Amino acid sequence: MSQQDDFSNDDPRLPAPLDLSKWRALPGKLIGIGGLITVAGFLYSWKHDGMVNFGFSWLVAFMFFLSLGLGSLFLVMAHHLFDAGWSVATRRLCEHMASLLFPWLAILFIPIALLAPRIYSWMGPALQASPDHALHAKFPLFTTAGFYIVAGACFAVWWLLSSRLKFWSLKQDETGSVECTQKMRFHSYWGIWLFAFTLTFGAIMWMKALQYQWFSTMYGVQYFASSVWLTLATLYVITMLLDRQRVLSDVLHEHQFYFLGTLLFAFTVFYAYVSFSQYFIIWNANMPEETFWYVVREKGTWFYVGLVIIFGHFFMPFLALLRIDVKSNFALMIPIAAWAWLMHFVDMTFNILPAQFKDGFPFEWIWLPLGIMAFMGGLLAQVFIRKFASASPYPKKDPRLVEAMGLYHPVATQISGGELDQADTRHGAPVQPKGGH
Amino acid sequence: MSANAKPYGLLAEFDNTADVLHAAEKVRNAGFRCWDVYMPFPIHGMDKAMGLKNSKVGWFSFVGGVTGYTTGMLMIWWMNAVDYKLMIGGKPMFSPNAAFPPSYELTILFGAFGAILGMLFLNRLPRLNHPLLKHKRFGLASHDKFYVVIETADPKYSETETRKLLEAVGSKRIEMVED
Repeated sequence: MSQQDDFSNDDPRLPAPLDLSKWRALPGKLIGIGGLITVAGFLYSWKHDGMVNFGFSWLVAFMFFLSLGLGSLFLVMAHHLFDAGWSVATRRLCEHMASLLFPWLAILFIPIALLAPRIYSWMGPALQASPDHALHAKFPLFTTAGFYIVAGACFAVWWLLSSRLKFWSLKQDETGSVECTQKMRFHSYWGIWLFAFTLTFGAIMWMKALQYQWFSTMYGVQYFASSVWLTLATLYVITMLLDRQRVLSDVLHEHQFYFLGTLLFAFTVFYAYVSFSQYFIIWNANMPEETFWYVVREKGTWFYVGLVIIFGHFFMPFLALLRIDVKSNFALMIPIAAWAWLMHFVDMTFNILPAQFKDGFPFEWIWLPLGIMAFMGGLLAQVFIRKFASASPYPKKDPRLVEAMGLYHPVATQISGGELDQADTRHGAPVQPKGGH
Repeated sequence: MSANAKPYGLLAEFDNTADVLHAAEKVRNAGFRCWDVYMPFPIHGMDKAMGLKNSKVGWFSFVGGVTGYTTGMLMIWWMNAVDYKLMIGGKPMFSPNAAFPPSYELTILFGAFGAILGMLFLNRLPRLNHPLLKHKRFGLASHDKFYVVIETADPKYSETETRKLLEAVGSKRIEMVED
């Protein structure tokens, strides 16, 4: 048996690839159905409340999918900053998802930019004419010009970062040059700083500013934590699917799924830590100009939505992910990932909607954000699939790729430093299924 | 041996772990209930050989935890929303979310109390003396000997039959311990 045969992706011991032809039309259907609901909701909201409820629903869906773009951008930069080996196999997927930030998510931001004076009370004519103290104290950030400059700057940074990182990654596919790795590392280095600032500004200006009187230094970190959490769950499922389809089987090692699961577990705890700290500090500091944000969220059914987040966003995934074998058990990880999508949606509604619906969770309006989610999800999935088809499914000439595959890596390269301890020395070891088959 | 001394039980000595483990299995199979094994170090499999079930301490701990959580919630609710109402920071008089951390602390504290007190209660501790401590040779239980003690309080106990059983399971030295 030649060495090539050991790594062939036609190994009969692996489960057969799934027939996904039925699913091919799904993004198109989502765009169609979601688009219809979106248009209907827009007209209905236009007639009844001057497009305000439509704006809030759009914001929920937008902030949800912005999480995926920003979370992916973070994972790409973290990969380069830590000089990681294992994540080479999944990095291309993150690069594609991050590049959804521009132009696609920027285009999806346009309705928010247009409806901003109706959604954000501080941009309305009354407060613009005579700003109160809470608003005046936040000048010049909380001015109409400030809002649009911040939005422009955020998308500019995200465009520059995601496009540069992807450009050099694709270039390495052709040249295999170490220069590309060094360029990506350079962009990650300056990028991680501006990423932290822009993500925080985005979370503040588009979500927190709905109740502009409030302030919390943890808010950006909380959005960051839940964004990466959602992205990891999504990435896990996509990677698993591509493994099953034999697209990534050659470059995945058993560890990748375990590492993604462990990161998901870590961000479950990190999110809980950040959001609990924010709540605990603000609630016990007893300052009415801060506590009101949580008081609103204890009124009516919002109280129960809060409990759903405490138990569903933290306790359930925390307990479910504790065991070591769960992290590579697909039958458990797929429901957990789906649950993460649901919980992030609930989290976004909890952050955004109480500003408009103070009496409780707007069950009568829930069809609208869900319809817009379907529209945006279908659209972004379509774009993602197109991007995915246009390039190699993984960085095929990355110097760290052999490490990601878990193979013996005997030569110290310019960038590796030659650490051999992580490498799998079982040269020509049989191909094994990575997850819980 | 004084005339009015009450017998406490039969003490059987063993020289090695295998003997005492098999002896324990036989005593267990004979259906004794008031008996115990003493050894200088833990022997793997002894729980099973003696037929010991899971400790009941967990239930005391659970009841303690539930009591602690309820106490915390009720205490905070009563102090803030009933006994001495103060409007602070525009917050409601009572919020279960905010009362959770102290209640949780009390859950742990009372849970630990339950575990400790439950353990003492189940072990009939503290006690000032034990009949076995009077026995000169029993000190070897912390050195290199292993002991099986069957109490006279056991319903199956009979001076002659029990002694025969202990001889049959391989003890070379069987003595009566007095209370």
